[in-house]
Amino acid sequence: MTVSVDDPPTATRSWPVIDAVAPPERLAMLRILTGAFALVYLLVRLPVFVQLADRRNGFDGVGLAVLLDGPMAGSTVELTIAVSILAGAGFVLGWRYRLTGPLFALGMLGLASYRGSWGQLLHFENLIVLYLLIVALSPAADVWSLDARRRTQPDDWSTESSTRYGWPIALASLVLVVTYVIAGVAKLRYGGLDWVLGDTLRNHVAYAAARLDLLGGTPSPFAGLGVRLELVWPVAAAATIFIELAAPLALLGGRIRTVWVIATWLMHVGILAFMLIGFPMPLFLVAFAPLYRIERLWTQRPSWARRSPSTQPAAAR
Amino acid sequence: MITAGVLAALVVPVVFDRDGFPLSTYPMYSRTRGDAVTLATAQAVDADGTSSTLTLAVIGDSDDPLVVAGELRDAISTGSADQRCLEIAERAAGWDGLPGSTVTIEVVTERHDVVAQVEGESSLLERTVHAWCEVPS
Repeated sequence: MTVSVDDPPTATRSWPVIDAVAPPERLAMLRILTGAFALVYLLVRLPVFVQLADRRNGFDGVGLAVLLDGPMAGSTVELTIAVSILAGAGFVLGWRYRLTGPLFALGMLGLASYRGSWGQLLHFENLIVLYLLIVALSPAADVWSLDARRRTQPDDWSTESSTRYGWPIALASLVLVVTYVIAGVAKLRYGGLDWVLGDTLRNHVAYAAARLDLLGGTPSPFAGLGVRLELVWPVAAAATIFIELAAPLALLGGRIRTVWVIATWLMHVGILAFMLIGFPMPLFLVAFAPLYRIERLWTQRPSWARRSPSTQPAAAR
Repeated sequence: MITAGVLAALVVPVVFDRDGFPLSTYPMYSRTRGDAVTLATAQAVDADGTSSTLTLAVIGDSDDPLVVAGELRDAISTGSADQRCLEIAERAAGWDGLPGSTVTIEVVTERHDVVAQVEGESSLLERTVHAWCEVPS
């Protein structure tokens, strides 16, 4: 894992994840990336979430929504959306983070649960919410935040590399790889070897295209070509399961991590191309952020992005 | 302790084989699938019985096929296809692309050879109408 391999702990303990060390800027960048991604996702999908306010039939609570007896009042849904958007802005900017952080994470958990309570879970929302919950409950706004700028005493927080900042990042990495392993296990558990050796993947591609066609959508232009390439699909199926089960290799860091990330990203590109099913968090690479020294996106930004030396924030220690 | 708790929480749905949110078994596309598949949809039907496709927005008030298909399937399985048909008909009435000859909306399941369907060949194996309703004028 990057946070433990690239930044060896100074203490004598060396438990993976628990003793992972990182600078505060890395955790802050994870806050900015996950928060901005989730906020944009919420805004892009706003019509879908707003439309939930009018729904009355077919509710079957999942996630946080199991606590509800039935559909919420429309005004409650709209209020939750509005509060979540405002809290999301606070989350990204690190403003009143102890309040806005958990509020945004809980808001997204609630909204995604509620949206999934009408007959269809969207599994790509799981990782978004899990990352938000981890980051929201961590000291991710100690630097690179409005809270940090407002602080009158610069030494209120230690801003040295420590497990305080590395542990949440390592936990997010762990969640990432475990979710991929679970997805791989599911294919072997429910599909067995037939999933790899049979025509299942080709039929899934054909099914996704046929479903879109019957529902009046536009199927992938590659689906028709894809189903004719019969010999490709068992190889693609084996590669899919291998990539998912091999996810823990990414925790080793270095080149093997990057090979896994590229392979996983290409897998998602293939799913998008042939089935028109997008997993936005890995496709936009945000899912893989905890595996890298992401603070360098800012500290080592290209010269054209630097206004003047005096405006640069403190570099990673 | 927290790390162990989070790990356990991630694994519990797998142990009990119970999908949920945000902790999941990630079952999507994990089962084997043959080339004959039953799909739920809603269609516009004219006086001759000729059917034509609607749109995702008309059928499910969403642009997401997973959501539209999932909710329609759920409506059929829970016996609320009639209610869903009326909602679709109402949206269809305001849709510019609705064929002028449309008389009714039908909520159906169709069994197709999906590989043949994608290849543009004849694919319909079976068709079941679960609900029908008139399009309001």
